[in-house]
Amino acid sequence: MRCPIETGESAELLLAYCARKLDADSMAILERHIGICPACREFAGGQRAVWEALDAWEASPVAAADFDRRLYRRIEQEVSWWDRMMRPVRPLLFRQGLPIAAAAGLVIVAGVLLERPASVPMAQAPVSAQVDIVAPEQAEHALQEMEMMREFNRLVHPDAAEPKM
Amino acid sequence: MAERVKTDVGSVIAALDCDAELMLRVKEGDGASFGVLLDKHRSSVVHFLYRMVQNAPVAEELAQEVFLRVYRSRSTYQPTAKFTTWLFRIATHLALNSLRDGKNERLQERLDDDSSGMPVRQISDSRPSVEQYMVFQARLDEVRRAVATLPEKQRAAVLMHKYEEMEYSQIAKVLSCSESAVKSLLFRAYETLRARLAHMA
Repeated sequence: MRCPIETGESAELLLAYCARKLDADSMAILERHIGICPACREFAGGQRAVWEALDAWEASPVAAADFDRRLYRRIEQEVSWWDRMMRPVRPLLFRQGLPIAAAAGLVIVAGVLLERPASVPMAQAPVSAQVDIVAPEQAEHALQEMEMMREFNRLVHPDAAEPKM
Repeated sequence: MAERVKTDVGSVIAALDCDAELMLRVKEGDGASFGVLLDKHRSSVVHFLYRMVQNAPVAEELAQEVFLRVYRSRSTYQPTAKFTTWLFRIATHLALNSLRDGKNERLQERLDDDSSGMPVRQISDSRPSVEQYMVFQARLDEVRRAVATLPEKQRAAVLMHKYEEMEYSQIAKVLSCSESAVKSLLFRAYETLRARLAHMA
């Protein structure tokens, strides 16, 4: 084996050796080398001493109940009334958000189209009078088409996940 | 395309890392999963922060802030890395800020005062003599001082390497640097510690 200090890989290899992270074969090879190489022996000895010294610095168990109680109190203080109100519907929003948003958008567009003719004189805008009759059907039709597309997509890609937000 | 790749990587990491999976459940409003994560990582985060700042009340306060930030970030969480990488990145960031802000200025005072509020490993003899206890405390004090003298990033790298048993690649992600930079940090840190602690062998 070539000396790890001479090849410049001393730190990584000898640290792994002292941390006992090497596989059994590498461990045995390095141990044999350390037996005949004073530089590596000194490095490994020093590193092992550091490792054992750090081992002695054991931390105490944390008072979990007290820690958690304080943490949850802080979390509760941060949760706004809006969050509390939205909490029950949040999972639904995450899963169904896109279709709901799309449907809501269509309803708003339909509403705008329905409102517009009322503010425009009939004589000046005959086309809008036509829209007045057709728009709700268009909106309904569009919603039906969206549903059909979604069904179609499910049939074509049965394994595909639900669309994410 | 890039977004899709990112999502795919995220789903793979979530599948491999059960902590990431739990965090995704927290994202969907499952509070119990947050409790599981807290239970699993509370001690390691507090201990890491304690060894970083060497002040028990400050460490607990910082750990509270870590988990509070985890909870606050639940809605924007993406499993782009291991959960523990993200967790320790937050913890390290807070510890380094605390040290730089001087919130931990009583550190030296506490080191001189000793005991530090965190009990240590008991000597194996069930009834150690006063002399044994004092020798053990003196050695422990020496270890704590040696770690405290390390530059902050070297200290963080050593603590993650030694106590959290993190790989170089994970430490690199936590510290936002390259793997070779981590190796260099660890080499220099252990060199300093060997010079100060090798006589303990």
